[in-house]
Amino acid sequence: MSQALGIPRISLTWLLVAQALVIVPHLGHLPPWIIGLWLGCAAWRIQIFRMRAGYPNGWVKAGLLLGTAGGVFLSRGSLVGLDAGVVLLIAAFILKLLEMRSRRDALVLIFLGFFAVLTAYLFDDGILAALFSLLPVTALLAALIGLQQSAFALQPWSTARLAAGLLAQALPLMLLLFILFPRLEPLWSLPLPKDRAVSGLSDSMAPADIAELSRSAALAFRASFEGQTPPRSELYWRALTLDHFDGRRWSQSSFARGAQSAAWEQRGQPLHYSIVMQPSAQRWLFALDVGQTTLAQARQMSDFRLQRALPVESALFYRVTSWPQALREPTAIGAGPGSALQLPSEGDPRSRAWAAELKRDYPQAERLVQALLGHFNRQPYGYTLRPPAVGPNSIDDFLFETRKGFCAHYAGAMTFVLRAAGIPARVVAGYQGGEYNPSGDYVQVRQFDAHAWVEYWQAGSGWVSVDPTFQVAPQRIEQGLEAAVAEEQSFLEGSPFSPLRYRQLGWLNQLRLGWDNLNYGWQRWVLGYQGAQQLQLLQRWFGRIDGQWLGLSLVGGGGSLVGLLALWLFKPWRRERDALQRSFNRFERLLARHAVRREVGEGPRAYAERAARALPAQAQAIRTFAAAYEAQRYAGHGASPALLRQHLATLRRALPWRFTRAAGE
Amino acid sequence: MSGPLRRRWQRWLARRIPAAASVRLDQRRIFIIPTRVGAAFALALLLMLLAAINYQNSLAYGLTFLLGALFVVAILHTYRNLAGLVLKAGGAGAVFVGEQGRFRVRLESSARAHQAIALGWPPAALQSLDVPALGASECELSLPALRRGWLRAGRLRVESRFPLGLLVAWSWVDLDQALLVYPRPLAGELPLAGGADDQPEEQGACAQGRGAEDFQGLKNYQPGDSKRRLHWKAFSRGQGLLIKDFAALSGRDPWLDFEALAGDVEARLSLLCHWVLQLSERQQPFALALPGQLVPPDTGERHREDCLRALALFGTPP
Repeated sequence: MSQALGIPRISLTWLLVAQALVIVPHLGHLPPWIIGLWLGCAAWRIQIFRMRAGYPNGWVKAGLLLGTAGGVFLSRGSLVGLDAGVVLLIAAFILKLLEMRSRRDALVLIFLGFFAVLTAYLFDDGILAALFSLLPVTALLAALIGLQQSAFALQPWSTARLAAGLLAQALPLMLLLFILFPRLEPLWSLPLPKDRAVSGLSDSMAPADIAELSRSAALAFRASFEGQTPPRSELYWRALTLDHFDGRRWSQSSFARGAQSAAWEQRGQPLHYSIVMQPSAQRWLFALDVGQTTLAQARQMSDFRLQRALPVESALFYRVTSWPQALREPTAIGAGPGSALQLPSEGDPRSRAWAAELKRDYPQAERLVQALLGHFNRQPYGYTLRPPAVGPNSIDDFLFETRKGFCAHYAGAMTFVLRAAGIPARVVAGYQGGEYNPSGDYVQVRQFDAHAWVEYWQAGSGWVSVDPTFQVAPQRIEQGLEAAVAEEQSFLEGSPFSPLRYRQLGWLNQLRLGWDNLNYGWQRWVLGYQGAQQLQLLQRWFGRIDGQWLGLSLVGGGGSLVGLLALWLFKPWRRERDALQRSFNRFERLLARHAVRREVGEGPRAYAERAARALPAQAQAIRTFAAAYEAQRYAGHGASPALLRQHLATLRRALPWRFTRAAGE
Repeated sequence: MSGPLRRRWQRWLARRIPAAASVRLDQRRIFIIPTRVGAAFALALLLMLLAAINYQNSLAYGLTFLLGALFVVAILHTYRNLAGLVLKAGGAGAVFVGEQGRFRVRLESSARAHQAIALGWPPAALQSLDVPALGASECELSLPALRRGWLRAGRLRVESRFPLGLLVAWSWVDLDQALLVYPRPLAGELPLAGGADDQPEEQGACAQGRGAEDFQGLKNYQPGDSKRRLHWKAFSRGQGLLIKDFAALSGRDPWLDFEALAGDVEARLSLLCHWVLQLSERQQPFALALPGQLVPPDTGERHREDCLRALALFGTPP
C-alpha cells in the first residue's frame, strides 16, 4: 500500500513549515524549553532527510518521551488539565515529526497539527489569530497533497496553491454550517486555560485594588444601545454591592451572595441594550440599574446585580432592559436593616463622632446626605491616583488628614459615615462611563473605568444612588479618568505605548476606534454566535424555526452550494472540450475587437500574419501566441493550455484597452 | 464477496460499463467512497467538534466546519480528477505460460490534467501515473500467464485519491484486451520426425535442418529468414534482399506429431512447443500435426506463429 512508502520531500518541507506556523501562536503559553526541543528535533529531522543522521532508536525515543513528560510535569505541575494537555499535544507534535518514517506517520502528524491549531483558539480567539490560523491549515493541507504519488505533488507552490484553492472553495459551505449548525450545550465541563490573566473587579475592595485596575486599559465589556446612547454621566454599570466593612476592606456579605431577588417597581422609560463582556472569571454581569436580562441561567440578585450560574470564562453576549428610575425596595430592605448598618465594633473614632454630629444637625436622611456631599465639594478634597499612605484608622486619616484619594476612598468613607449616622448604606462597585465609539455606535468600557459609588436606603424612596466622587472631580464622571488625572499625568503611566494615551492624535484615534469596532463585531457576530444568540438571529431572519427546518435548510443549502461549486468546477455549458481551440477562439475574439477578423477558411498562421501586419506594435505577442498554438496543435508538442493562456494574457496587456467593439463590427 | 453475489456484481458491471476498446470515464462509470484515511479524518473532525461544543468556542466550530466542508469539496475534486479520462486498449504480445502477460493501456486527457491515476488488477499493486492536460500517457500492466490459451485482461481497476487522499474514486473498466498464451516450452527428445511413413534410418535428420551444403539459387527474403544467408552483394547491387537458398541433406521435413508422443496433453504440447521454437530458430521447415488439425510444412515467422497458436488453442472451444 502507498502508506508503506516514504515521505516525499515536498511533504516533509510543508510539514516543517506547518509545524512552525502551528507552534507560533502557542509561544505565549508554552514553557521555553519546548522551543528548544522543537528547534532541536526539526534540525535533527532535516539531517535525517539529508542522510546525515539516523532515526532515533527505541532508547532515545523513550528517553525523549519520558523527558518531555517530566518537563511538562515540572513546568505545569500536572499532566492533565488544559494547560498541561496543550503542552503535551505540542510536544507530541514535535516528537512525532522526528520519528516519522511512513506516510501513515505523516497523516497522524497532520491530524495532530489540526488539533494543535484548534487548541490555539482557546487561548486567543481574536480576528488576527483566526486569520493567522489559515496559514498552518493551508500548510498542513499542502503536506497532505504532497503525500500523493503525482508529479504535481513535487512542486511546492502548486501544492500550496491547490491547498489554498480547496480551502477557498470550502468557505461557502463552512459559513452555511457555521450559521445553521445547532449549537449544543457543553456535554461535559472542561477546564479552561488557567494562565489567561483576568483583571477586573473582585468581591472585596480595598482602595488599592481600584487603583490597580485604573492602570489597566484592558477591555471589560462593550455595550450597544437601541436608540440614543445615554450621556456618559448616566452610565453607572453595576457589578455588585459591598456591604461588609472590616476596617480596611469592603466585601460582599454572605447574605448578598445568596439568590434572593428583591422587590422593585418599574418606573419611567426603559433602556434596551446588549452587552458583550470579556471573560472575567466571576459570575456577575454588568448592567445599568435596574436591569433584567433574557440570558438563560442569569438572575437578578438581592442587591439588583445580575448573576450567572457559572463564571464568565469566555466572551459573553447578553441583552438587558434597564429601568433607571425604578423604585428599589421601597418598603423594607430584604436582608433586614441591620445588614446595611454593619460597622466594625471599633476604629475610626473621629469619623463616628462626626457622624453623630451630622445626625444631630440633620435629622432627615436626605438633608444629611446633601450635607455630606456638600462637605466633599467645599472642603479641599482632591482626586488622585497616587493617594498618600494612611494609618490603621483609614477612614479617619482620609477624611481629616490626607483628603486625597479616588472613588474607592470617597465611596467607602461616605458609606462609613452614613452607617455611623444610622442610615442604611452600601458601596456599589462597577464601572462608570466608557468611551463612545461613533463608528460602531457603542460604548467600550475598560478596566480603568472601574468605579465605586454609594447607595443609601430611605423608607418610601428605597435605595438611592449618590456619587461622592462627582463632588470632588466632576470631570471623572463627565469626561473620564484621563481628564480627571490630567494634571498629575498619571493616566496609564505604566503603559507609555497604549494607543489610548494618544487620543488627541486624530488619525491614530480613528484607527484605534475602527479596529475596536471590528473586534466588537467579531465578538458579537462570530465569537458570541452561540446557543441563544444563534436562535435569536435565525428567528429574526427566518421567523419561527425548529429542528426540522434547520435540518432541511442545512441539507438544501449545502446541496445547492455543492451544486454551484460543481457547476463552476465542471463548466458543463462549455461544450467545447478542446482547450486549444478555446484559447484560439479567445485569441480570435481579442483581435476581432481590434478590427482584425478571421476570413472564412483562413488558416491560423495566415490570420496571425495578417493581424501582426495590422497591429505592428503587438506583432511580437501575436506571433508568439500563433507559434505556440501551431506547435501544440500540429507539431505534436505536448499540449499546454496554461502556456497559451499566458501568451494570450501577454497579448491582452499589449493591446490598448477597448471597451466597445471596433468600427466595422 | 460470495460467489453468487460476485456474479451478480459482474453482470451489473457488464451492463453498466460494457467492454470496449476505448472507455471514457464519466458519472455513470465512476464510483467514489472515503478511504481509510478519510475515515480517520472524519473521526478527527468528530473529536474537534466535541472540543468545539465543550469549549463553546466559535473558532473551533469554524475550523471543524471548514475541514468538514473541505471533505465535501474533495469529493468533487477527486471525482473531477478521474472524470473525462479516456482509457484505450494498446497492443499486447503473446507470451508463454509462466511469463508475465503485458498489456499496454493508453490514458488520454480530453481537457485537464489528471494526477496520480492508479491502474491495475488487484490484489496486485496498482501502477501510478499522471496524464498531462490534452496529452496522453501509456503504461504497461502485467498479468501472470498461468494457462495456455487466451488470457483475458478482465476488468481493470482505475482509481485516484488525488488531491487529499481522503476519498478514492474508482471505476472497473473492461478494455476487451486479451493475449495469447503459448504452452510452456519444455526441452526433450523428439521421438521421431518425418511423414506418415516413418523411416527409422532417418532419425536425427531433423536435427540437421536446412544445411549450407547444396546451393540451390536465390530467392526473395521473407521475415524469419536468417540474416546470415542474406546475399549482401546482390543487395549492394540494388537487386533487393535476396537469400541464398540451400537444399537440406535430408529429403523430408520434420513432422511434429502430437499422436506420436507419450504423456499427458500439456506435456506433449510443451514438448511440441519447444521443438517448434527450436526448428524455427534453425530455419528448418517442419509440419505440425495435432488431432484434427494440420499445419503443413513451411518455415518463417508466420509459420511459427500459426503453429504456436494451434498449440495454444489446442482443445479449447473456438
